[in-house]
Amino acid sequence: MTSRVVNRRIRLLFVLLSLALAGSLARAVWLQGVRAQPLSRLAAKQQRQTLELPARRGTIFDRNGVPLALGEQATTVYADPTQIQNARLVALAAEKALGLDAETIFPQLKDTSLAFVYLQRKADSAKAERLRKRELPGVGFYTEERRRYPQGAVGAQVLGFAGQDNRGLAGVELQLDDVLRGRPGRETVIRDPFGRVVDVLSETSERQGRDVFLTLDHRIQAKAEDVLRRTARQWGAKSATALVLDPSSGEIYAMATAPTFDANRFAEASQDKQRNRTATDTYEPGSTFKLIPVAGALSEGLVTPDSALTLATSIRVADRVINEHEPRPTVRMTVADIVAQSSNVGAITLGQQLGSERLASWVARFGFGKRTGLDLPGETPGLVLPLERWSGSTIGNLPIGQGIAVTPVQMAAAYAAVANNGVWVQPHLVGRVAGRSAARVGRRRILTPVIASQLATMLTGVVAEGGTGLAAAVPGYNVAGKTGTAAKPLSDGSGYSTSRYVASFVGFVPATRPRLVILVTLDEPTTIWGGLVAAPAFQELARFALQYLEVPPDNPEN
Amino acid sequence: MLLVGVVAVNVAVLRLNMQIEELGQQRLELEARNALLESQVSSTLAPARIEREARTRLGLVPAEESTYVELRPGR
Repeated sequence: MTSRVVNRRIRLLFVLLSLALAGSLARAVWLQGVRAQPLSRLAAKQQRQTLELPARRGTIFDRNGVPLALGEQATTVYADPTQIQNARLVALAAEKALGLDAETIFPQLKDTSLAFVYLQRKADSAKAERLRKRELPGVGFYTEERRRYPQGAVGAQVLGFAGQDNRGLAGVELQLDDVLRGRPGRETVIRDPFGRVVDVLSETSERQGRDVFLTLDHRIQAKAEDVLRRTARQWGAKSATALVLDPSSGEIYAMATAPTFDANRFAEASQDKQRNRTATDTYEPGSTFKLIPVAGALSEGLVTPDSALTLATSIRVADRVINEHEPRPTVRMTVADIVAQSSNVGAITLGQQLGSERLASWVARFGFGKRTGLDLPGETPGLVLPLERWSGSTIGNLPIGQGIAVTPVQMAAAYAAVANNGVWVQPHLVGRVAGRSAARVGRRRILTPVIASQLATMLTGVVAEGGTGLAAAVPGYNVAGKTGTAAKPLSDGSGYSTSRYVASFVGFVPATRPRLVILVTLDEPTTIWGGLVAAPAFQELARFALQYLEVPPDNPEN
Repeated sequence: MLLVGVVAVNVAVLRLNMQIEELGQQRLELEARNALLESQVSSTLAPARIEREARTRLGLVPAEESTYVELRPGR
């Protein structure tokens, strides 16, 4: 081959390589110069992602740190019908893994006009994982927090519940939703082609929800619910409530309503069962209200515990005649006897001695007609007739607890004031939020210590031989309390039922240095007497709580 | 050499970012596991469950309520 041919080939090769290089250079200039911005934007759209960082909802603990409500990781399963290749296969797989009904979800999975359908919100993660392993196109998963109540029905009406979106809908969950829910964060990340995060462009941290410690004790709460359930069943009551609280601090150890429900299945529970009747429902208290005219008469210096009154078996007030609950002849009774034997005539007589104005002021002084300020939504103030609307017969009704509607919380707080040396303390449920004590608790003196002590002594007479509440007696302890048997008003306002009653017992123990106030109410029991149906429930609950809290007996010889 | 150094630093940063992301995922998984365990502990503490287990599995019956007796010296 001649050198001319070789040189020509070398020049040709050189030209070809130059052309290729020039072409590459031109392409590079085109991509990185002319098309730089649109291509960068496209890349950013594909690689850049802004994510919400969900905040963990705070845990609700009992006073001893036992979790009563907390968040669990759950997996929400969704489908994109436009991506599904075999809708029937997906429906059957979801039925097998998640327990859904394939026939119900199949029409949605076939509907390609939809781009997103939920298969199951907050499904069990293990079950969702079984479906994920099938790697079915068009089926997606993401993590959500699901609220769980590990102790089921314990404290259900108090805790309330958080809905599907983890917002509080009732009870403490609603009352403290701002505190519990926290604030989600945001994060903008760059992902590589494999979906891995390679850079974080910006981040706002989430603020986790704060934990809340209630004053409830889960064991006392569970015991109260168990006692109520059995008592309501035994006496055929429609419903029942119980409260256990510390009179010196106002801390509520137990706040129970029967019937109850499993808080994990709140959507299936009726509205009736969801109500926290201790604070949202009222009742006419009957004889437990006799505390107020007695306290008023003693405090105003009208009588002493030993003052004797001559009492007929009935008393006429305006157009009404009120009888004792059992016939008896005219007797002389001391004020202490009036309390121990729950004399209607005696209580009305004391109310008349007080007069309308003073009686009305003592009703208000004990907190009736006003919310206690309990840290739960839906508390009702009850119903108290304003003084200007009293009729001639009101002074005959009110001293025996008729013509007034109170809540169990109000009644328990009133007796707690007697137990606490005459100081009324605001009942409350929230102890600490994120380690700090909850807001200051309201206190006010409503009785002198001397009067409070006299009342306590008289109330121990109720739980003694000859008293109406002997069934509330606790071996080894002095118990102070009062029975209540109140006819329910007729719905047409024409009077009172002769067959439907609220039976109750409220008391405190040990009477000499009170540690617990306990109230039990039963709505429409078949046997109506508070001393027969509510007092034994008080006793059972008191015996448990005293032993559990290791409260030493104040009357070991009893 | 400078170019090699720059590339090496960028690769190291990318690796660290991916590790941070992985550790973040691990933290979330551990927190979820922790919550599940807390929930299980609380369930086991439920008085109704304890009583049921005591009766059915261990054959226990509820104790008699305690009665307090005061013992005086010399009697």
